Amino acid sequence: MATLISSNRSRGIKNSLAKWLITLGGISVLFTLVLIFMYLLYVVKPIFESAKIEQTVNISIDLADNEKVLGSGVDELKELAYQITESGNIDFYHLKASVPHADNQFAIGDNSLSVSLFVSDDFNQDHVVNVVNSFSANKLLHTAKGQTLLIQPSFHAKYANDTREIIPQVNYPLGYNSLVIDEQQAALSQLAFAMNDERIVFVGFTQDKRLIKTSFIAEDDFSSSGDDVEYETIFQQIELFNGAVDEIKVTPDLRLAFIRSGSTVYVYSLNDDEEVSLKATITPTLANNETYLTSMGLLSGSSSVLLGDNSGQVSQWFEVATDTGRQFKQIRSFKANDDSVKYDKNNQASSAITAIYTEQYRKSFYTMTQSGMVNVFYTTSAAHLWQGQLTSSQPETFTIAPRANGIIAIVNDPLDANKKSLQAFSVHNEHPEVTWQALWQEVWYEGYPEPDYVWQSTSGSDDFEGKFSLVPISFGTIKAALYAMLFAVPIALTAAIYTAYFMTPGLRKKVKPTIEMMEALPTVILGFLAGLWLAPIMEEYLPAIFLLFIFLPLSTLITAFAWHNLPNDWKDKLPETLAPILLIPVIILATYAAFSLSGVLELTLFNGDMRQYLTNDLGINFDQRNALVVGIAMGFAVIPTIFSMAEDAIFSVPGHLTSGSLALGATQWQTLIGVVLLTASPGIFSAIMMGLGRAVGETMIVLMATGNTPILDWSIFQGMRTLAANIAVEMPESEVGSSHYRILFLAAFVLFIFTFIFNTAAEFVRQRLREKYSSM
Amino acid sequence: MISISPKALAPGSDTSFKKKLDLTNLTPDQVALDINKLNLFYGKKQALNNITMSIPKGQVTAFIGPSGCGKSTLLRSINRMNDLVDDCHITGEINLHGNNIYDKHVDVAELRRKVGMVFQRPNPFPKTIYENVVYGLRIMGENNRRKLDEAAEQSLRSAALWNEVKDRLHESALGLSGGQQQRLVIARAIAIQPEVLLLDEPTSALDPISTLTIEELINDLKKQFTVVIVTHNMQQAARVSDQTAFMYMGDLIEYSDTNTLFTTPLKKKTEDYITGRYG
Repeated sequence: MATLISSNRSRGIKNSLAKWLITLGGISVLFTLVLIFMYLLYVVKPIFESAKIEQTVNISIDLADNEKVLGSGVDELKELAYQITESGNIDFYHLKASVPHADNQFAIGDNSLSVSLFVSDDFNQDHVVNVVNSFSANKLLHTAKGQTLLIQPSFHAKYANDTREIIPQVNYPLGYNSLVIDEQQAALSQLAFAMNDERIVFVGFTQDKRLIKTSFIAEDDFSSSGDDVEYETIFQQIELFNGAVDEIKVTPDLRLAFIRSGSTVYVYSLNDDEEVSLKATITPTLANNETYLTSMGLLSGSSSVLLGDNSGQVSQWFEVATDTGRQFKQIRSFKANDDSVKYDKNNQASSAITAIYTEQYRKSFYTMTQSGMVNVFYTTSAAHLWQGQLTSSQPETFTIAPRANGIIAIVNDPLDANKKSLQAFSVHNEHPEVTWQALWQEVWYEGYPEPDYVWQSTSGSDDFEGKFSLVPISFGTIKAALYAMLFAVPIALTAAIYTAYFMTPGLRKKVKPTIEMMEALPTVILGFLAGLWLAPIMEEYLPAIFLLFIFLPLSTLITAFAWHNLPNDWKDKLPETLAPILLIPVIILATYAAFSLSGVLELTLFNGDMRQYLTNDLGINFDQRNALVVGIAMGFAVIPTIFSMAEDAIFSVPGHLTSGSLALGATQWQTLIGVVLLTASPGIFSAIMMGLGRAVGETMIVLMATGNTPILDWSIFQGMRTLAANIAVEMPESEVGSSHYRILFLAAFVLFIFTFIFNTAAEFVRQRLREKYSSM
Repeated sequence: MISISPKALAPGSDTSFKKKLDLTNLTPDQVALDINKLNLFYGKKQALNNITMSIPKGQVTAFIGPSGCGKSTLLRSINRMNDLVDDCHITGEINLHGNNIYDKHVDVAELRRKVGMVFQRPNPFPKTIYENVVYGLRIMGENNRRKLDEAAEQSLRSAALWNEVKDRLHESALGLSGGQQQRLVIARAIAIQPEVLLLDEPTSALDPISTLTIEELINDLKKQFTVVIVTHNMQQAARVSDQTAFMYMGDLIEYSDTNTLFTTPLKKKTEDYITGRYG
């Protein structure tokens, strides 16, 4: 049957071409969606990853005579590490093989600089017993004879022959000679210090058991380093409570000193140069009689103190405002899983925390046990980030790199007392502050009176901790959408019913496209109008707005009633389209009346000013850009969407159903309620859901008309911040790859899920309803 | 030429023994509807020309005629369904109990309760079978469960549907077959006890078996109601009706008892139509 073979080749080609093009288009749409989804997840994923620590360098060091290493450090880029030894030497080692110019090549572990720190004669025959760290690069060396020296290891980049070389250097901010810290020049068994540009505060405990505070007040300032800095010294004695001091910490803002004596911590206020006063006493409740404090750490940001005990537990304390003033409270505690300490179960003491190391800028801390077991925690999110053994035993020194991306530890060789090793580790712990709990549950931030949901991503200061609770902004999204729907749904649905069911076809043909055209109105214009025009008007004429909600429906109903009761002769003479047009002057009149009455109402009911009445008499806070403004503005944006779809649904209810109902003696109204709306319900439902989806994703209106305050408050007079607006506001100022950046992507993902859920629910319900009314 | 014997077409032979009514001279208690000089215009176009006829009570009256002859329009005028059509304008009167239904004070909803209608396509509402049947009663404000149940059963029995649906009254009416749906719609119409039942080509969308069931049903219905049926199927008119009106181009050409119209039509047009010359 040759006739069955297509004679038209080009038709066949067109056919298959169309088929392939359509398939390609469909697949690429799906592919793009999946790609967006994958990309969001790809950016978000790192914030939920746990920390990773791995050894990068292991340099063996030979030191004679069993010499101890007392301090260590590393530069910001982790290229050079240094150690400070008992004999007052500082040795710099290369951690990266760099290739500067040809005659000066270094391999990993090469010593690039080795100097004796004791340049002055003061230190003859002396040896260092204590290296005191501060939150800055400055270190204090204290010797057995009670001599003290302030040094600052520093690093300079040099560019020779277009290659970069790091040159180490040691500065002496206060000169080469020993500083006088104790008036009586006694040796100090404990010493802590902190400094800023104007002053340095030392708190020490002398061998003869005096607790002293010494302040250096610069004539000029300390940052202009040089050996000729002039300063005034104030010596103070701190009254001692009992015999021993185990540990001293001074906050970097020179405000407080924490002095641990056994299991009690005394907090002194250092603000006053005349007198040092005891501010508070911290006595942690310990698990049992055999538990005692073993170490103390100061968290970055000068607010929190960390107390570690011999059971391996660390508690965080900071000042909280209470009824009786600010008090130190235990906020939370951290403990490593018991499983991990199984291997040394027989040795109870080994779980004791021997040291707490804190990061310079973040709220992370590391705990160390005698056996060298390291645990990493993040305080605010209460996250246990890492656990493991970095070194075979407790290292002599342990330093966290300035950017918290590395660790330098100096470890004794267990076999040879003269041999040590300098070990460098790289730490991958970019987003310790983010956990699922921190994002969605209440978090107790430093300085807050209680746990709370807070979104506060940035501030001016460096030691600011980002607060990333997604609850307030998710809440804001829902609040904005709900208020918009509250405004839009009744108007859009009644308009749709009227247009589809009661309006004359001629008028409908004009009205429907007009309203649909409103959808094309850029939302930035709506937002702009709402924020800059509507919000101030609504603030000024607040009673008028509420009157309008009564006046407009009422005047419409009265007009309709009057029209209905118009004598038929009149009605026949007037064109039918006049009825809706007649409403326009009525609405204008009602609006005018509402605004005219506004002042009178304020005077009679609200003591002259409704806004003040709300705030002062009712205690309701009032924002100028509030949910009411957003509800109305976003309502306007959503009305065309809902109207258009609902109108289509109602209009497409088959005529034979309407006739069927009318033929049974039902009135128009009964037919509408009993048959038309019922049959159109799938369409009406999806119209509302589409509107909701649009309201949730809307950005510009909420951005411009809400005030963007991330608060949890249903009040109609308060603003909110939505997920979409939050992303728009903060994305330009967030650092690429930072936690903030990734959380904004997570917010985008949450928004995606929101709209996904709404649309899926809408589609699901619509399918169900459609199935029910399938043969319509 | 095909000759049609009404006897051969009519189910049962009772039509031939029926006492003939004088359609031009009915007594008032014999009349259900009295149409008087009815003119109907769609805009400027006239669709019905000066129709005058009386429809007798308790009988089946059929309107036949070619497409566009105005038979459906006439039917729809009887319960004012034409009101829904824009530009539809009517002169003349239709009297029900001596009252003109086009009078200003007539409540259209009340009229339609007395003059029920069944449409060409089955149009059950997207509700359960039960709710469909009691819809008319509910909108009249009847909420007594017992009364509704009774009315539903009675109407479904009258519509010969009870046995088929009694076990699934609360399932969707849309699950019924076309014929069942049409009987459901009839049950729905008779549940409110109308006086007149208008059937607008009730079987045109149905298969032959369903058609037969509906036709039998119409025979039963005339015991309770005055039935007016529009059909394009002459055999059907011959089978089910007592009176037949033949319409052509908006005119009522001939109106007499069915036997006479099909055997000895007075007008040439009627004869041409029933013998299949056009249609």
